[in-house]
Amino acid sequence: MTTQTAIFRIDGVTKSYGGVKALDSVTLEAGVNEYLSLLGPSGSGKTTLLRVIAGFEVPDSGRVFFQGRDITNLPAHERGIGFVFQNFALFPHLTVRQNIAFGMANGAVPVSAQETAQRTQAMIDMVGLTGMEDRGVDQISGGQRQRVALARTLVMQPKLVLLDEPLGALDANLRGRMRNELRAIRERMGVTFLHVTGSETEALAMGDSVVVLDRGRIIQRGAPDDVYSTPASPDVAHFLNRFNLFDGTLVDGKFTGAFGTVASPKATRAPRDVYAIRYDRLRVMPVSTAAKGPALKATYIANEYLGSSVMNFFEAADGKVVEVEHHLSLGAPETYEPRQDYLLTWAADQAIVFGREGK
Amino acid sequence: MESRVLKPMLAVYVVAFILFLYGPFFVLGILSFQEGPDGGPQFPITEWSTYWYRQIFGLTPPSRIAPLPVGEALIRSLILAFMTMVTSTVLGVMSAQAFRRKFRGSGFVFYLIVLGMMVPGVLTGLGTSLLANNVFDITRHWYTTAFATHVAYTFPFAFLVMLAILNRFDGSVEEAAWSLGVSPWKTFRKVTFPLIFPGVLSAMLFAFTLSFDEFPRSLFAAGGSEDQTLPLAIYGTFSVEIHPNIFAFGVLTTLFSFALLSVYGILMGLSVRRARKLAMQEEIA
Repeated sequence: MTTQTAIFRIDGVTKSYGGVKALDSVTLEAGVNEYLSLLGPSGSGKTTLLRVIAGFEVPDSGRVFFQGRDITNLPAHERGIGFVFQNFALFPHLTVRQNIAFGMANGAVPVSAQETAQRTQAMIDMVGLTGMEDRGVDQISGGQRQRVALARTLVMQPKLVLLDEPLGALDANLRGRMRNELRAIRERMGVTFLHVTGSETEALAMGDSVVVLDRGRIIQRGAPDDVYSTPASPDVAHFLNRFNLFDGTLVDGKFTGAFGTVASPKATRAPRDVYAIRYDRLRVMPVSTAAKGPALKATYIANEYLGSSVMNFFEAADGKVVEVEHHLSLGAPETYEPRQDYLLTWAADQAIVFGREGK
Repeated sequence: MESRVLKPMLAVYVVAFILFLYGPFFVLGILSFQEGPDGGPQFPITEWSTYWYRQIFGLTPPSRIAPLPVGEALIRSLILAFMTMVTSTVLGVMSAQAFRRKFRGSGFVFYLIVLGMMVPGVLTGLGTSLLANNVFDITRHWYTTAFATHVAYTFPFAFLVMLAILNRFDGSVEEAAWSLGVSPWKTFRKVTFPLIFPGVLSAMLFAFTLSFDEFPRSLFAAGGSEDQTLPLAIYGTFSVEIHPNIFAFGVLTTLFSFALLSVYGILMGLSVRRARKLAMQEEIA
């Protein structure tokens, strides 16, 4: 897989809506055949970013390049960039086959009727819609509609496909299947995908690399496991939904929080002092234990069964809820007494510390 | 219980409403079957007959009552209504399309368009005739000046209908078409227009019926006797003497309108059923 040559690049793109900056000088690049996940909370500007690349919105400033060409002022229909909508946006008055053939039948680049029919059928077979060709798009299920949306885009053989939370409208089971299909399609066709999602699991599962967006800015970009284990800022850690975040103060390499004072020599520079420890790195001890490292007394509230793990919820003295994840592969979960106090501990080197004096 | 009082009151209201709406037409309908040519436009019915219907179509022997001078006027009115319908609907769709994006002065333009249905028709008609006579020095005709006033009057209706339709229109299907390499014009033809067609049908119906029985604007803006539209021609016969042939003609035109409405209703019903099926499928999925 060559990811050396950039298929598209956006350069310092800014876009405001009525004074609110949806994108704040964003610069981003993706290589040929790369799968890029764009992760961010709602309102972080990720959809706006896709719409700017697709040509549905014109940026206030900055340039957009695609295949080495400046396309900032090119209308959407001349860009050759595929777009899959969150609500699928199928043509409700057309059949499955007509939906998929639409771009070839009506596009500026003429495609012969024979080739159109051939490519449409091949695509229908590929996404597993054989036998549904002549149904209206109102007569198929949500997952099938999603595949029509995808097929309609892919049949145009674009080099870049933008996916705007296309799996959001599906149930968990279908979502998993569609993820696999997307991966398979990409292997077969050599397309660069830019996938916007609000789900951290989806972003981490799908992307060759993950881009985290917050308030119109890119706050981290990296391989999924890097982002997961070393979030670049408290905001990323918060958004990954995998970390307990404690406020406190970082002074001279020592972090002081509700759990005591801990030596934190390798702090990451951030605008505020935050101590982050992953849910599955905490240990629950009897309250009488004499802990060596950081320790926090907390009251057990309840747990939640997640299938492969159990999430235990504790409440610290200051009212903060602390989550402790127990992976079931590590053995049966212990049972805790509600409203009883326990001691939560962890190894100090497992924590990620952010602070103004960090590097 | 509230409904014990409210329901009979509402029932009475509905009956009264229907009575006021259809009562006059009903009376005219009965009187149109008056005996002719001596029977007058009043009760009692001296003898039931279809004389006046036959008289309209020239199937009765000549008598002292001249046939209604409506033949050519009817054709004129139909052509005028058709021209108005096409022009206003095209303008309405285009301008409503423009209003999907905010543009500078859009509020002002909105009121400018809607003004056409607010200004009293007599003023528009009179103003147009003065303008034609004194400023531009053009001869007034039903297909020129009257046509212009009809469009100015019906265009706002078509515009408002289309505005409401496009307001609920999800633009992402158009963006989807663009992203497939389809030009905006072709997207409009192949995606937008088929989807807004029920609205276009409503706009056409509005424009046609409003133009067809338009009186005050035509009165001044249409020219002489060769330019009479149907409402003008009928009004002309009033000034001499009223005979039941006008009632018979009224019944015929009303039936024609009902026929048009039925066609519209059937077309609408088909597309609504489609939409409902779509919504239902969505719920299941």
